[in-house]
Amino acid sequence: MQKVPDKKGYFGQFGGKFIPETLSVCLEELEGAYRKALKSKKFKADLDYLLKDYAGRPTALYYAPNLSKFLGMKVYLKREDLLHTGAHKINNSLGQILLAKFMGKERIIAETGAGQHGVSVATVARLFGLDCDVYMGSEDIERQKMNVFRMKVLGARVIPVESGSKTLKDACNDAIRDWVTNVKNTYYLIGSVVGPHPYPLIVRDFQSVIGKETKRQILKKEKKLPDYLVACVGGGSNSIGLFHPFFDDRKVKFIGVEAAGYGFKKANAASLIEGEVGVLHGAKSYVLQDKFGQIKNAHSVAPGLDYPAVGPEHAFYKSIKRASYVGVEDKEAIEGFNLLSQLEGVIPALESAHAIFYLKKLAKKAKGKMAVVCLSGRGDKDLEIVQAHTKKR
Amino acid sequence: MRIQDKFEQLKKKRKKAFIAYVPFGYPSCSHTKDILLTLQEAGVDIIELGIPFSDPLADGPIIQDATSLALKHGANPDKLFSLLEDLKGSLRIPLVIMTYYNPLLHYGMERFFSKMKKVNISGLMVVDLPIEESKLYTKCAAKYDLETVFFITPTTGLARAKKIAKASKGFIYYVSVTGITGPKDLGYAALKKDIRKLKEISRLPICVGFGIHTPKQVDQILKISDGAIVGSGIVKFIADHFRQDRFLPRFKNFVSSLCIK
Repeated sequence: MQKVPDKKGYFGQFGGKFIPETLSVCLEELEGAYRKALKSKKFKADLDYLLKDYAGRPTALYYAPNLSKFLGMKVYLKREDLLHTGAHKINNSLGQILLAKFMGKERIIAETGAGQHGVSVATVARLFGLDCDVYMGSEDIERQKMNVFRMKVLGARVIPVESGSKTLKDACNDAIRDWVTNVKNTYYLIGSVVGPHPYPLIVRDFQSVIGKETKRQILKKEKKLPDYLVACVGGGSNSIGLFHPFFDDRKVKFIGVEAAGYGFKKANAASLIEGEVGVLHGAKSYVLQDKFGQIKNAHSVAPGLDYPAVGPEHAFYKSIKRASYVGVEDKEAIEGFNLLSQLEGVIPALESAHAIFYLKKLAKKAKGKMAVVCLSGRGDKDLEIVQAHTKKR
Repeated sequence: MRIQDKFEQLKKKRKKAFIAYVPFGYPSCSHTKDILLTLQEAGVDIIELGIPFSDPLADGPIIQDATSLALKHGANPDKLFSLLEDLKGSLRIPLVIMTYYNPLLHYGMERFFSKMKKVNISGLMVVDLPIEESKLYTKCAAKYDLETVFFITPTTGLARAKKIAKASKGFIYYVSVTGITGPKDLGYAALKKDIRKLKEISRLPICVGFGIHTPKQVDQILKISDGAIVGSGIVKFIADHFRQDRFLPRFKNFVSSLCIK
């Protein structure tokens, strides 16, 4: 396997560490601690134990008979929605909270869009008895009320962010500002494969459990690897987690599904398709920006995809053509949401519903083929949004 | 004028540098012209001119609000270069650009630097470009004879500080606090110690910024360093007064009161 990232945190020409000088030292500290943790048997044992008994791993690889019949292709769902807190985010949060403990930090901060990452951080912070502040755009607070309440029940402080677009990107800005100020005692628990090195590496490693399990499970069930891996891409953590362990299996095609929002050339969150190379939140990658390099506001009906950039490893996959990236619009995602609910009795998160809908398009050219889709989260949190959309019609 | 020459000039007069930060295009592009000239009249030695960015993650609320208004009013580097073209000859003190990396990257480094040179900008600093990412940048800046100012902070270790000092030109920007821009109380004793250490590894002037907003703080900082940088304090004065009568003379008085040395 090609070893990425390199020592400087680059995936090809993407990644790196573009951060204010104050943070340089703590990124070095984090990198050192992570390297040590990887060598520690206790760290690995603790994480394995928590993933199994606390979070509920391994998750099922479920053959979806009705969806398969409907599409005319064989579809398996990797059921990350069955995890504690309802999404794949907990894989990373458990890994990083152990790292924070390992480093002796007393306070955890995080950013959140949909609130899924915020909830998982609040959860693990409670488990370990650490203080937890979660930055969340005020617009997201409005559209994800239940998750806000969940975080509060879990004892976290949810700090509303009023600057910029009042969504995930601005929550990241404020989390970084907090981190710069309180760097000595505070651990910044990033929720996706974004940010400065070593975060994209750390989060990818902790999420790779998705792909490793999938590989084992599909070989057991089918005696062969799937033709396609399909997953939604916002920052890109569930997709990288699924894809990464299959990197060298060249026959397995990767499809990342971005949020095309209202459509291409309109407001969307499809950074890999419509963005240009730029630097945001510490990494070089594809970024939605205007002609003077000002960051555009992203839009997606799925708050977890509402981010104007993407993890550098995805940018790398795009550049070497290891993965292809496609867009699914808001209204199509809602269709995907209903499709899976009605066919399989599984309500997907709106983020994952993007990947589900894309199967309809894929099935047209891939009849009889086998696909594994990452069902990154469950859809309870999105019922209000879908209800509002249904009323509008 | 080069930053280096300015510091030599000040040294001969046994003076320290007072550096003022303002964002370009705040509250509007036409204001910037008057503001720059007024800063010069008020006795400012070097002006640090900020390129507004949509996601200023090292800035506190005062500068965030200002730059977001500037962007709303259409501030961009092209307008900045054309304004400075008009000011050629009348602006005689060194001008340093302060920017985040993405606007520079997107504009194209060569293109940006050649335009900077044409309008007599002396140098620049990039908030989110640490030393390990800056090889191409320093090389390119040197080609256009632009002075590259880098940041050293209380969390920077000595070995790292040496590398940063080596890549720095004009002056070293010492960040007074672990945090973002905006008014704060300062710990002079620790600052004094840190600056003394830096003096042992570099002959460049060391200027201190972040948190400084009162004449007393400026005075204290100038006792222990080669220059004081005031940003948010000045921006806040503009925010509170630009709509009022006689804004420019009052602005001049305010800045003079900060930089009497």
